[in-house]
Amino acid sequence: MSGERPSSRWQIMQDGKTFYKRQQLYSIPGKLPNLSDYIVAGCRYGGPIALMRDNTKLVALGRTTPAITKAQIQIYSPAGEGLLLFSWDQGKIIRFGWTADERLAILNEEGTYRLYDLQGDYQQHSLGNEAGEMGVIDARIHDNGLVALTGSLSLLEVKGWEGARPLTLANPDLSQPPNSWAVIPPDLNISRHVEVLLSVESTIFSVDNLESVDQRLSQGPFTHVSPSPDGKSLALLTFAGTLLVVSSDFQRTLAEFKTGDVASAEGSVNQVEWCGVDAILVTWDNLVVVVGPFGDTLEYSYSGPTFVVTEPDGVRILGPDVCDLIQKVPKSSASIFRPGSTSASAILYDAWESFSQRSPKADENIRSIRPELAAAVDECIEAAGQEWEPYWQRRLLNAAKFGRGFLDLHNPTDFVNMGQTLKVLNAVRFYEIGIPLTHLQYIYASPSHLITRLTARNMHLLALRISAYLSMKPDAVLKHWASAKILRSRPSATGTGAEADLGGDEDVCKLIVDKFEHLGGADVSYAEIAKRAWEVGRGGLATKLLDHEPRASDQVPLLLSMKEDRLALVKAVDSGDTDLVYHVLLHLHKRLPLGSFFRLIEDGGSQLAPASKLLQVYAREQNREMLRDFFYSDDRRVESAVLSLDEAASILDPASKITAVRAAQKFFSEDKDRGFESKMMDESARLLTAQQQLEKESDGKIVFFGLSVNETIRTCLVNGMAKRADKIKSDFKVPDKRFWYVKLQALISTTDFEGLDTFSKSKRSPIGYEPFVHQLVEAGHSKEALSYVVRCDSPRRADLYVECGEWRMAGKECKERGDKAKLDAIRQKCPNSLIAREFDQILASMK
Amino acid sequence: MATSTSDEAQTTQTEEPLLDVNLLKEIGQKALVDALNSVNGAKTLVLDASLAGPLGLVIEVSLLKHHGVDKMFWLESGPLSSTTSNIVYLCRPMIKYVKIIADQIKRHAKEAQKHTYTLLLVPRLSTLVSRILEEEGVLGDVRISSYNLQFIPIADDVVSLENENAFKEIWVDGDETVIYDSAQALLTLEKLYGLFPRIVGKGDQAARLATLLTRHQPSTLDTLLAQSEKIDSLIVLDRRVDMITPLLTQLTYEGLTDELIGIKNSHVELPVSLLTPPPPAGTPGTSTAPPAASASLKKVEAKKKHHLTTATDPLFAELRDLNFSSVGKRLNKLARRLEEDYKGRHQAKTVAQLRDFVGKLGGLQTDHQSLRLHTGLSELLVPLTRTDQFNKTLEIQQNLLASYEIPSQLSAIEDLIAQGSDMQTVVRLLCLASITSGGVKLKALENLKREILQAYGYNYLPLLLSLAAPPLGILLPNPLPASSPPALLTAKYPFVALRKSLRLLIEDSPEALDEVENDISFVYSGYAPISVRLVQCVAQKGGVLSNPAEKEKAAGASADSKAQPSIKAQAHPIAGWRGFEDILATIPGETVDIVQSGPSGGSAVSTPLASLLRPMQQPTTTVVFFLGGCTYTEIAALRWVGRQNRGRKFLIATTGIVSGNSIVESISGVSKPTGPKDAAI
Repeated sequence: MSGERPSSRWQIMQDGKTFYKRQQLYSIPGKLPNLSDYIVAGCRYGGPIALMRDNTKLVALGRTTPAITKAQIQIYSPAGEGLLLFSWDQGKIIRFGWTADERLAILNEEGTYRLYDLQGDYQQHSLGNEAGEMGVIDARIHDNGLVALTGSLSLLEVKGWEGARPLTLANPDLSQPPNSWAVIPPDLNISRHVEVLLSVESTIFSVDNLESVDQRLSQGPFTHVSPSPDGKSLALLTFAGTLLVVSSDFQRTLAEFKTGDVASAEGSVNQVEWCGVDAILVTWDNLVVVVGPFGDTLEYSYSGPTFVVTEPDGVRILGPDVCDLIQKVPKSSASIFRPGSTSASAILYDAWESFSQRSPKADENIRSIRPELAAAVDECIEAAGQEWEPYWQRRLLNAAKFGRGFLDLHNPTDFVNMGQTLKVLNAVRFYEIGIPLTHLQYIYASPSHLITRLTARNMHLLALRISAYLSMKPDAVLKHWASAKILRSRPSATGTGAEADLGGDEDVCKLIVDKFEHLGGADVSYAEIAKRAWEVGRGGLATKLLDHEPRASDQVPLLLSMKEDRLALVKAVDSGDTDLVYHVLLHLHKRLPLGSFFRLIEDGGSQLAPASKLLQVYAREQNREMLRDFFYSDDRRVESAVLSLDEAASILDPASKITAVRAAQKFFSEDKDRGFESKMMDESARLLTAQQQLEKESDGKIVFFGLSVNETIRTCLVNGMAKRADKIKSDFKVPDKRFWYVKLQALISTTDFEGLDTFSKSKRSPIGYEPFVHQLVEAGHSKEALSYVVRCDSPRRADLYVECGEWRMAGKECKERGDKAKLDAIRQKCPNSLIAREFDQILASMK
Repeated sequence: MATSTSDEAQTTQTEEPLLDVNLLKEIGQKALVDALNSVNGAKTLVLDASLAGPLGLVIEVSLLKHHGVDKMFWLESGPLSSTTSNIVYLCRPMIKYVKIIADQIKRHAKEAQKHTYTLLLVPRLSTLVSRILEEEGVLGDVRISSYNLQFIPIADDVVSLENENAFKEIWVDGDETVIYDSAQALLTLEKLYGLFPRIVGKGDQAARLATLLTRHQPSTLDTLLAQSEKIDSLIVLDRRVDMITPLLTQLTYEGLTDELIGIKNSHVELPVSLLTPPPPAGTPGTSTAPPAASASLKKVEAKKKHHLTTATDPLFAELRDLNFSSVGKRLNKLARRLEEDYKGRHQAKTVAQLRDFVGKLGGLQTDHQSLRLHTGLSELLVPLTRTDQFNKTLEIQQNLLASYEIPSQLSAIEDLIAQGSDMQTVVRLLCLASITSGGVKLKALENLKREILQAYGYNYLPLLLSLAAPPLGILLPNPLPASSPPALLTAKYPFVALRKSLRLLIEDSPEALDEVENDISFVYSGYAPISVRLVQCVAQKGGVLSNPAEKEKAAGASADSKAQPSIKAQAHPIAGWRGFEDILATIPGETVDIVQSGPSGGSAVSTPLASLLRPMQQPTTTVVFFLGGCTYTEIAALRWVGRQNRGRKFLIATTGIVSGNSIVESISGVSKPTGPKDAAI
């Protein structure tokens, strides 16, 4: 077989240009049960298939099929190896399908779904109460989520597999379940949101989370709705058997094909799946037909019922005897192997064959394609990736290598990568591994994805070898290995005593740590492994493993669940991540009695001080009662007082405000170093009481309450309560200076110049008279200011006159004092020539 | 001479481009767009007001509309009516905001309105928020996600987290969230440009940050960071290390604008008349005379926010870092230059020359408008700097810095209280007195505190207590009572010693101040900020002890002025605090010096190679991070330091821009009642 050119197994479409090939991946006679009796779900990227007995079909009880009444799910690799078998004890299964990371999602009619990994461990989530009450009648599962159709015919979407809350999509107002439906996953839509296509009567509704649109088709109803792998087109199959291909915006009909025309078809159509983006595969029980873009067909027959899985670059078919891959022959392969091809790459391949047969034609061939040689080399490398047989891979790579020899400069990266990749691919394609991954799929899904899949199958050694070979970090593999190791090494439940148990813990821990250090997996999160250990009930092992975890943020949640409260808090504080500290604090606050919660924090001393501070920040906003208790329990008088003041600030009712201030005063008075603060709070309370009194006197017309001492005096003065102002001054021992300023400003603001005059003469001003001048001028009363200038010190008077705008007076003043320098200075600033001239005269007279 | 140095600075700047900080802006923009697009359809955006400023620096409203934002509301208590079914909340994870959100959701539920709620938390998810939503019973209705807004570029060489409360949260509340967020933001820088090869720092919280930075290494190792080639070190200073600087009145143009008018998120509120171009001017040559009568109109005039940025305002770059005393002169010069440029049209004889002139016209008009703006702005500032109180304040500051007659300064402060100065000003001076003289005599202190409480209200008592409490402790009695916590007893700030060892006070000769930016002390007219001196200890060791500009001047006098650029010394490689260890040891707080090498494998070869290469001609950037905020003067001073040497640029990173007032206000929890102060004009 290796000797034949790959093209010998190609089939050509009627158009004479497009080749398709059917690649047999595995021969699996008798390994799978009869697929027609089962509901099947296949995983993309060469993943496994899951089977469940289809209860609607009769089955003959025989030797091969044991009678099982309970729902049972079987999982097989594409090579027909049984991977897992488990029975389902929940409500009736509505739908199951595969997630992007190769877990089986199973949804039941109560809206509960579970995600099974290939080891049979699962996580359970729910679609919520609504779905539970209404029941789920159908669902579609795609790589990164699912859409469920509830009993009330509304659609629920779940994004991702983390148990997110389901979102209700727009209501399509259905009166009965759709004939058929499908979803276009979010990553294939322009909007990046999921789109649901419902076949209703003769048309299709497309529904997303905003709206439901009737696409006004008339050919329906449809039995199959199938979006293409790139989401751009749709294949629709009518009851009459007409296959329609439309663009997914329903603007264009791309092709139409009558399945009834296929002569050899019997019975009804099983599946309509895409093969690449321009061909559709229609399957009957024994027949598979590829329908090309122009209605051309290729028929493949099988000996029994089949199941097909769409892959990004083709379609995988599981039949009774074989597992096949049908795909359009890739361009590079076609260019080299198409009969009669004269492309540069074909010639290069030819040249290499001649060369290996020691024929001189080689040189001639190479010469003829010299300008295109680089491209030809690249194409040979690419074509090597498309071949399944190592024989042909090697030949194509050899041809590329041969061509490279004639090039001066050629980047070898592609060549090397392809060689490595093929080695990996060939390894995982081996039937015992059973992952028939094509090169394109491998590139799409990334090498790390492949590693994850291998570890999910517990194939740690292979995964480790591959990651080492591809120089990837071994972390993921090691982590999975350690988890598996812990599960496996579960100490026997019969109990050989605590000591034996401990020894087991130490051994396992040492084993894991040694392995990690040996293989350079220093960045593996020990916390995750420890969590695993804790989950399976091995607390001792978990603690030991946690000690090796460098990142506090990963340790904390586990420590909390292990009730290592203090340690968790210390680690959280240490990490500097305040959110983590809050996480611990809130958790502990909920779980512990208040007293022990406080004690935990207080006993921590300076180490836990940040946690204590954060608790205060939180409690100040959200839980003052707790804060008050906290301060009280720790004898923090000052903080208690400040808290009380803080509350006083927000209280409007006078009496309770005064009470709050008094309370603060009491707290301060209990601390011997806070005598000053206590005194101040006493003053504050007295002031508030006095203000209450003042308000009463003014019949509540004037607001005093809450003002400062200065403001109170000012308000008294402004409102003609000078006596009261004096009383406040003496009660609160306001210094003369401050009182004079306040009174000065108050009188000016009421333009009470008479009062000002009396005030200025009441006694010798403690602040001098310059402020009088300044303040009056500032308030725009220059004239009134003049009378105070004379009362100021004589050297300052000239400037003050200028300030009042009295230039002549200033000049006069200077003359009287004989201060020529001053006069000169003032002259510099004078506003107009008139005055300047006068100054000049004065200056002259002074000579 | 002044022009020649600054021109020369500009040319060197173009030769050695800084790290492109706009990358950070793009990251921020894209993250928000992605977050918005994750919600399908039209949406109502509800914004926390403290985020609006920072967001405005990252994204334009039009872009938001483009991504489906239908309406925008402030996040305020009270009902929220929305026409779209999607509501997106965008806020910092503060408890008060979450409560408002919960309240609005519950209200909607009561009114049977159906909405889809998305909560975007800045900068990251918070357990606290989900817990409160849970307590309020609405957790199930909200999809919580995060919008990781980190450093925002506010100038070519300044990036900021724009967190207004950073200082208070760290040193008053003891909430370390900001430190953690800063570490995350610095890690983002590392992801972009590689590991900081060396981390030097000073201060307990700086040390904490450095630990977080170096410890987070493992989690980011999947990207296998190598040592950065563009950055030679990170200098972390926590604000506590130099509390004096922000307490002083900033005297650069931008700093003074911040002090007197207020700059918030690079925006300043100005009268509308300053911002709109005047009706088509008859002759462009009259640019030197902006309408003088406008001063009287200002009181009633509407205010508008103006974005102070060099991107649209070419003159601002020349003006922002000047000492205010030389701004007038510079404006004059600029006006004359502009006039000459306009006159160019008279020389245009041929059509081609005319076309050239018309081509330049757009630029000239921009210059013209920007000149008008700055002339107007400085006219707003001048009267404020002429007031008695302002000058008294400066005098007290200078005397305190020189430790001159402390008791009489204290009574001067008391006078200021009596005269009714701002509470902020008084508190700043009092704290300054306490720090510079190692505490205030108990009796005088209690008297002043009492004055403050009586004059401004007893509700400021918690503020005074916070200022005195550790770890802040910037308002202390002398001697300390024996019962005070040990943290305070050991951490006395050695100001007098530092003044000598770090050459903080410069004898300023008036002509030097006028013409040459003499030393970093120009930003405070004769006082050098300690923080920037500390940076010099690491990155320009010579600058601490003597004055590079002076040397240059001496050299410049003998040599031809054109030869000057070559005289500029090559920046020396970073060698930690070497040479200043003793001084550093006297300042309270931990000292940090960590060498970070890349992943173990390659570093053995690359490290020595890189360190060999670095002192050669390869230009490099030093990142200076201020934990707890920095002032505009410090930025100006650092830019000056950057200009003195070849081969090293500074990238200034900070948690936010602070001034003494903003610090005092954030601690007191009371902001200025009536916005900007220029109502006093």
